Formats: sequence, structure tokens, C-alpha cells
Amino acid sequence: MTYTTRQVGAAHTLEYKAYIEKDGKPVSPFHDIPLYANEEKTILNMIVEVPRWTNAKLEISKDLKLNPIIQDTKKGNLRFVRNSFPHHGYIHNYGAFPQTWEDPNHVHPETKAKGDNDPLDVCEIGERVATVGEVKQVKVLGVMALLDEGETDWKIIAIDVKDPFAAKLNDIEDVETHLPGLLRATNEWFRIYKIPDGKPENQFAFSGECKNKKYAEEVINECSEAWKELIAGKSVDSKGIDLTNTTLTSSPYYSDVAISEIPAANPLPAAPIDKSIDKWFFISGGAH
Amino acid sequence: MRSTLLKTFPRIYLAMGYNKTAALRLSLTNQHISPVRLNSTSANSAATIANIGNINQGTKYTTDFKNYAIDKNTGSVISYFHDIPLDLNVEKREANMIVEIPRWSNAKFEISTSLPGNPIVQDVKKGEVRFVKNLFPYHGYIHNYGAFPQTWEDPTTKNESINLYGDNDPLDVCEIGSNIISTGTVKRVKILGSIALIDDGELDWKVIVVDIEDPLAKEVFDIHHLFLKTPGLLESTRSWFRDYKLADGKPQNEFAFNGKYKNSQETIEIIQECNQSWKRLINGQVKGDKLPTTENVRCKGTPNFKSSFEDISLKSSSTESVVPSIVQKIYYIPTE
Repeated sequence: MTYTTRQVGAAHTLEYKAYIEKDGKPVSPFHDIPLYANEEKTILNMIVEVPRWTNAKLEISKDLKLNPIIQDTKKGNLRFVRNSFPHHGYIHNYGAFPQTWEDPNHVHPETKAKGDNDPLDVCEIGERVATVGEVKQVKVLGVMALLDEGETDWKIIAIDVKDPFAAKLNDIEDVETHLPGLLRATNEWFRIYKIPDGKPENQFAFSGECKNKKYAEEVINECSEAWKELIAGKSVDSKGIDLTNTTLTSSPYYSDVAISEIPAANPLPAAPIDKSIDKWFFISGGAH
Repeated sequence: MRSTLLKTFPRIYLAMGYNKTAALRLSLTNQHISPVRLNSTSANSAATIANIGNINQGTKYTTDFKNYAIDKNTGSVISYFHDIPLDLNVEKREANMIVEIPRWSNAKFEISTSLPGNPIVQDVKKGEVRFVKNLFPYHGYIHNYGAFPQTWEDPTTKNESINLYGDNDPLDVCEIGSNIISTGTVKRVKILGSIALIDDGELDWKVIVVDIEDPLAKEVFDIHHLFLKTPGLLESTRSWFRDYKLADGKPQNEFAFNGKYKNSQETIEIIQECNQSWKRLINGQVKGDKLPTTENVRCKGTPNFKSSFEDISLKSSSTESVVPSIVQKIYYIPTE
């Protein structure tokens, strides 16, 4: 089982799309890639959207067929996350778990907020800078509950099973022992990252506490169940998500022709990023 | 503080009531009468910088990589260390700097003080090119890092107030503007302050500056303005330099003056001293081992002035290469 990417267009343009292929055939990273990578459910597949230390806000498209990774836009402009001092771009390999959905029809009993209508977000904390569209095998360590503009936006903390630290990290307290300062920085980063765009500071549920592995596994399970209803056509409201898939034959959205509708690979060199993206924003009382 | 300024103007005079302006004027007079002098009007300095380019030779991230400063008009090599004018403007608190390491990168590029033409090369340790480690939460260097041309931290004379020898290099500079500046770029910068690092027992000033073309340059005029305009930056700069060698298994670095930042005026005096030290060096007045090469093509009247670096033959191409992936690693400092 080998996952590769099929790039269409140049990075940092509106045309850019990164499709995920399995054994050379396009699949949906939202629906076709299995959440669990082993039978014991201790290793999970994660799709990398944004490599560490980069700024382009890349994400799995909900609207496009087979859900390629594209760059998010706002008012027609490509979105880049700002550098909030002392950080450079995203501080993790950031991405999502396949076959999960933060159901916006459902209010979480503890955070008292609705899901954000996206696959579950993952912060991979290993040392290697990942690539866009990479499918990583990770182990789960904990979870933070960001309340992003009033919606629950869980951030799972995980590490690549191949990372030198992976054997030592088995639950959230191990992260503070071996990577001191990382969880605090993660908390600060998500709180302040929209301030340079003129937005207020984000809030965390549970007073910003990072919940442990067991809690994270429950969150993953809930989001997995929500996705199962979604893909079976049983969700109250699927919010316009493109559910086309190429491997789930029992799903009403299975298609054996979708593959042929995906554009051919056309990788172009990345377009230059505007120099303004290199700016460092200094936030009073921020993370340093 | 070491060298000319205080040698010719001992601290006792300061104590007698001579103010810093007087000290400064005196040092300017020294500059005026010293053998090497370059004009320093702003228009002139802008034109000078505009005529300086740079060229890569060899493969990046290997020991054969070199980046030479060149005179754009003639295409010939000039020395980053000696031939690019410092052009210190005391009133406007401006000078020229050379960028060696762009912000957020790791390769330890520096002006070679020993090779003819003083190209920028990657520092080598035990035969391997050096990369600075990523010290959490930082990514590589947190400034555009470089040096002032025509300055030298004299390793042969002990600094009088700190009781340390200089590190035998040009004076180090940290540029804090918004843009990432590429290796070999010469920039006109505004001088804001400095901190006195003690690195392996040697004095190693780090001067804090901002590109005069950066919007920030219009808002900050001295070091204390940064506490408001760039909160966290000075504290992070101090901890970065204190800790950056921990990842290599070395102890923390220390600072003179308890790590307190010197202001703009004090820093200008430090730059002037280092410029005086360089003048003694380039004029052959310093005796010692392992001194930098003083070959140059623009300091007429100095012992090692020559018409050109004719032995350096520039090739038209340089090979790009990839940063080794080990440089992605992040080091976490254990908490007490």
C-alpha cells in the first residue's frame, strides 16, 4: 500500500490541487484512506496538509470531487498563516485524520460547542518536516479543544511512529518530559495565530489543558462514528461535502468512474510567495 | 571598552565632566586623521551599495562553496571585510552591513577572514560544514545575521572594561526587519543597540539593527523602543545567543554587563572602536598570530593593497543543493 500525490498546477496559486493516489489511482483523503493503519487501532493514518515552518493554509477540499488538498482562500485571495513571534509558520506538521468528521449538527456535551464541519485536525510533533499530501502513520498522545470562532475544533497531538522519540512517547505527560515547552507553545500558537489578521484571541475549552491519550481516542471515535453516518448518507445534514469515493462499495457515494474525471498530473514549480508573508508579528503578552 | 576611543580619551576624562559628545567628536577627529578614510555622505553610500553584487561559486552546503562580493561595474572580486565601506553616519546612526545568514535558515555562513578576497563560506568543524541547531521554539537564526565591514574585534588587546580579548572577527550584526535577506546582500541599516556575548571566553558583540528601508526603521530610534514595538524580541535574542550551543553539548554562553543591552549611542562607540581596530589591522600596525588576511583592492596606501584579486578566477555557474534533512531536527532545552 503506497500513497503518492498527484499535483495539478503550481503551489501558491488558485489552480493548485494535490490529489492523493493509492497505488497510482486517485482516492479521497477524506473518505477512502482508512483511519486505522493496524488492527489493534494503535497506529492511525494522518494526511499532512501543512508542513512545519510553512505558511500556506492548505487543506482537504470538502467541495471538490475526491477532496484534493488546495490552498484555502478568503475573498478570492490565497490564505497564508502569519508568523507570530517567536514562531515561523505552523509549528507542527499539520493535517487531518481520514474518515473523521467534526459534525456541525452535534453539540459536544463538554465543550458545549458544535463541530467545525472538517475532518479531525492533527498536529504531528516529530522532527522531520513532512510534505504536502504525505500519508503518515502516527500514534495518538492527547488532544486540545480549541474553540475557534465558537466551534469545537479538536487538535489531536500525535507523533510519527518512525520518529526517534516515538518509542518514548506513550501519553500526553511524556510530551512535556521529552519535548518541554511544546504543549505550552502549541496552546499559545493556536490562541494567537489569528490576531495578526485582526481577529480576537481564540479560546480553549478545559482551561487550555491538554487531555490525555484516552480522551483523545474517545474524540477520534466520536468523529469516526459521525463520518460513518455521513458516508452512509444517514447524517442530518451533510453540509454539501463531496462524498464521492473510489473504494467504499457499500456507500451510496461510491463511484467507479470518478477516477477518470480527475485531471492528469501537471506539476508546476511553486509560485513565489509575496515577501509580506515573511513578516514577523509581535504580539504583546504573546508567546515568547 | 577597548582601544582608541578610551585610550585617547581615558575614563578619567569622562569622570572629569567631558560628555560623550565630546568623546565622540574626538573619535571622529581620530577617524579623520587616520590613514584610511572613506567618504560617508548618504547619497554616496547608497550609490556604493547599489554597485556591489555577489556571486556564488561551488556547491552550496559543501566545503567548496564561496560567495564573493563583486564590483558590478567591473565584475571583479572585492573583499567583504575590507573593501565594502562601513560608512558609519554618526548623526543618522546608520552604517552598511553584510548579510551572511538569512533569518530562519541554519547554515552557518560567515565572511572568511583567512581566504584572499574574504568570501562568505560555510563554517567547517572537523571537516563537516556547520549548521546551527533549531532550538525550540526557534527555527534556525531568528535574525538576518551578518557583520559590519571594516570592523574587527581585536584578539591581541584586552578590552579595558570587560577584561576580554576580541574574537578576531568583524563585528556581528542582527538585522530585525520584516524581509528575509539573502546571503551576500549589503544593506544600509539603522543602529539600535547591542549586547556583549562572551563566546568561548572571547568578547563577541551582537549589534541590533534594522534595515533603513523597513517600515519599522521609521518607528524605532533606540534600543528601548523595541520593548514596545517588537515585544519579546530582545529577550528571545538574549536567550537564543545564551542557549544556541546547548544542542552541541556545550554550556550556556554568558554575557558581559549582566546581559544588559547597550543603547544606540554606546553601540556607535563600540562600532567606532572596532573600526579603529580594523584600521590598525589594515595598516599593518597589529602584530600577532592567526591575524586575518589584509589583502584588499580599495584601501589605497595600505601594505596589502593590490589592483585586483587576479588569482581568483570566477566560474559562471554554481550548483544548488539541498539542505541535509538532519537540519530539520528540533532541540528542546530541559526544564529545571
